Amino acid sequence: MNCPMENREGEELLVNYVSGALDAQEAAAFDQHMITCAACRQFAHGQRAVWKALDVFEPASISADFDRRLYQRIEKVSWWDRMVAALSSPMLTHRGLPIAAAAAALLVAGVVWERPSATPAKPKAPLSAEAQSLQADQVQNALDDMEMLREFNHLMRSEPAESKM
Amino acid sequence: MDERVNKDMAGFAAAIDYDAELMLRVKGGDNASFGVLLEKHRCPVIHFLYRMVQNQAVAEELAQEVFLRVFRSRGSYERTAKFTTWLFRIATHLALNSLRDGKHERMQESLDVEVDDQPVRQVSDRRPTVEESMVYQARLGEVREAIATLPQKQRAAVLMHKYEEMEYSQIAKALNCSESAVKSLLFRAYETLRARLAHMA
Repeated sequence: MNCPMENREGEELLVNYVSGALDAQEAAAFDQHMITCAACRQFAHGQRAVWKALDVFEPASISADFDRRLYQRIEKVSWWDRMVAALSSPMLTHRGLPIAAAAAALLVAGVVWERPSATPAKPKAPLSAEAQSLQADQVQNALDDMEMLREFNHLMRSEPAESKM
Repeated sequence: MDERVNKDMAGFAAAIDYDAELMLRVKGGDNASFGVLLEKHRCPVIHFLYRMVQNQAVAEELAQEVFLRVFRSRGSYERTAKFTTWLFRIATHLALNSLRDGKHERMQESLDVEVDDQPVRQVSDRRPTVEESMVYQARLGEVREAIATLPQKQRAAVLMHKYEEMEYSQIAKALNCSESAVKSLLFRAYETLRARLAHMA
């Protein structure tokens, strides 16, 4: 066996050895190699120490009301989902249209909110800052979601083609 | 040997199909399947985020966002990759953004003061002595600090590799980079960690 320390692929083997990812045959070959290779022994010793030390970092316990809070948030945004679903209906099958429509809705809403009134406004219940930021956040999040999913799907679709090359 | 590999592959394929199948059911309007996915992946996602941002409240907040995004993306979900890869891609994306936005500037401080975030030690048959507790806390502090000082992508790669036992290819997809880039991230990260933690052997 050539010394794994001599190249980058060898480092991968060393890390895999310590993490237990090698099969029995590869692990045995490396065990044999370490008998005569001090550098690999030292590397494996250090890596094993790191591996063991990291075990100390246990996760904290999760809040008992995590699911309840999540479902509350899902409930809150469901009206927005229905709107997105409506925009994505078969009548609006063009791929970019839902995003464009959502962006347009955001722009229109922004213009309406920001437009100065010609006459003194009657006292009315103001749209709370929280509600405004919530809607803006939801639009931004929805656009982020769509973009991330589109990128991810594109990446996944392009991979088989790349692997054939 | 071949039989074992085939069996593992079959189990792996079944696992892929199961989560993706559940997600497709969610897409079809079956919200109960979302509950099953949440139950299965809640802990790994929160634990990953906790180790990333080292603050339990922030980790839970980010995890809520992850699952919210999963639910809201259900309509456009396609079975193009393993579900957990997609899930951790969202989680990593949010964690990196959150760290980048500087929302966790107090993280270093939290290493010292957030006692509530400390994991509950599993003690088998007796309470640890004061000395043992102090040694444990010191070791934990060193590990947390060593991880916190890693560059963010290296940190994410190490956490997915060590704690979530994800393969290089899955980590690559989650981090949106090549497998060789992941290996490079991991080796540099472990090199740094060896320098900082090897004395703990």
